[in-house]
Amino acid sequence: MIQPYRLASGGRIDRSRVLPFQFGDGEYEGHPGDTLASALLANGVRLVGRSFKYHRPRGFFAAGPEEPSALVQLEAAAFAEPNRLAPDIPLYNGLRASRQHAWPSLNFDLGAFADRAAPFLPAGFYYKTFIRPAAAWRWLWEPALRHMAGLGRAPDEPDPSRYDHAHAHCEVLVVGGGPAGLAAALAAGQSGARVILADGDVEFGGTLLRRYERIGDQDGAAWAVSMVAELAALPEVRLLPNTTVLGGYDGNYAVAAERIGDLIGPNAPPELPRHRLWHIRARRIVVATGTIERPLVFTDNDRPGIMLAGAAETYLNRYGVAAGRRAVLFTNNDDAYGVALALADAGVAVAAIVDLRAEPGEAASAAVEGISLYPAHAVVATAGRHSLRRIWVRSLAGGARRPIDCDLLAVSGGWNPAIHLFAQAQGPLRYDHGIAAFVPAAAGDGIECAGSANGAFSLAECLVEGAATGASAAISCGFAAGTWEPPSVEPQGPEAPVAPVWLVPGA
Amino acid sequence: MLLIPCPWCGPRDEVEFRYGGEAHIVRPPDPAALDDAAWADYLHMRANPKGALAERWVHRAGCRRWFNLLRDTASHRILAVYRIGDSPPAARPQ
Repeated sequence: MIQPYRLASGGRIDRSRVLPFQFGDGEYEGHPGDTLASALLANGVRLVGRSFKYHRPRGFFAAGPEEPSALVQLEAAAFAEPNRLAPDIPLYNGLRASRQHAWPSLNFDLGAFADRAAPFLPAGFYYKTFIRPAAAWRWLWEPALRHMAGLGRAPDEPDPSRYDHAHAHCEVLVVGGGPAGLAAALAAGQSGARVILADGDVEFGGTLLRRYERIGDQDGAAWAVSMVAELAALPEVRLLPNTTVLGGYDGNYAVAAERIGDLIGPNAPPELPRHRLWHIRARRIVVATGTIERPLVFTDNDRPGIMLAGAAETYLNRYGVAAGRRAVLFTNNDDAYGVALALADAGVAVAAIVDLRAEPGEAASAAVEGISLYPAHAVVATAGRHSLRRIWVRSLAGGARRPIDCDLLAVSGGWNPAIHLFAQAQGPLRYDHGIAAFVPAAAGDGIECAGSANGAFSLAECLVEGAATGASAAISCGFAAGTWEPPSVEPQGPEAPVAPVWLVPGA
Repeated sequence: MLLIPCPWCGPRDEVEFRYGGEAHIVRPPDPAALDDAAWADYLHMRANPKGALAERWVHRAGCRRWFNLLRDTASHRILAVYRIGDSPPAARPQ
């Protein structure tokens, strides 16, 4: 079977093996290493759901657990799970998922009339309208409204799965297995301290899985693999992939959820637990959770085909999937220029780069020579009912709208350090105007951030800071520092600063 | 979950302990001599500060001994642990 949007090479998927799966009535194929989202995109499926109130078409917006819109119903009967995030479901053999909140079908959704009729539906309209006559409520309105409301369906049989829990103790808990987290774990682990490295993803590497970087004399992803092998060889280091640390409590007590049977699906062997909940008592916690990209806010920015620039890059470089055939980048920072370059290198036509700033970074704009660049412009309108078809751009100074045909609009509004765990554990924050985001103001009580979660975005900084934080955490627990030094990385060129834009003007 | 340093057993999880309320509240030697307001004051009125609070804990699932503990009620940080009968450490900010 042909996957029309799958690239011929590249990515961290195994093209020699095929995993069949179902989405709705369609039967598709993906590869080991895919997520449900990347496999659907590879098959050209872009419409996966409908929005809650107005039933607007929904596609993939992100490539990880930050996904806001691609909610699907996973499996059925006892294993049914509503509201699973498609980019957060690793693909397994025989996976069955379906749309939720669309009737009678995803493409033809009667509820979508609410979107058209929205101007005539004032807030508070609903309950006063439907209570009379009494018989109509019972037999007409309530069944109809219950059918329209809610997202997904709960399982209708008892859950046969086993759920495990485990207690663990360590000196250093490292949350996040990107470059900073790997460096922190190895620096701490070499001292002999007990280290737990947890990452929500199926694979360690973080940003290195989606962006080609050189670390020392290695490719970034290969470096991550060699680091994981080194860590696995240390007797006191425990590696927990597929494990999301969901809370940090008093006395550095962390709770983490590990997915086990979920990675195999309903056919998992019954002796395997579906999930395991870890209760971890750590003496120090190093938060290396990286960053989450911000979207840009403009009219009709929710059409399938509009996604974060980092997500388009992830689908491209990690999963070998072109998220579209003809792309436009819409950005307020230099980082997205690299995505444009990667898309163009993979054979995706990049129609334009629309930059909200009047002066994009020199190095960035020089690198994308040949792609038409619109500085001080904004995307003011988009069209395409079930998939993006065209956008219109306009100069921030005013003037006429200019149409650009495209089926992928990659947006980037800058990057937010993922400080959720740190802030929840009462870590102090401050606002950094340079990156227009909140960053840790100081180390918390036994918990501190490292790398881009700390506002240090460049790879070189992440490695150095991760190693230093990991080593100091182990030393503060009474261990002697190891000998590991982070490898050298070519320093990043100067970047023009991000322009904080919270609402795109003129849209 | 708090990690409570029991003076007899060492650091243990909070679930092993029971809370005994504010420490250093002296029972009046002759309750019958008190008026209702003073008796109610002894029974019910507590300092409830934001900051350091001296409180009693018992290591119920361990050595089963009572001890006193100084805890910051805003940050949940445990500032000191000392024996029943001892006065709170001088560092206590009032």
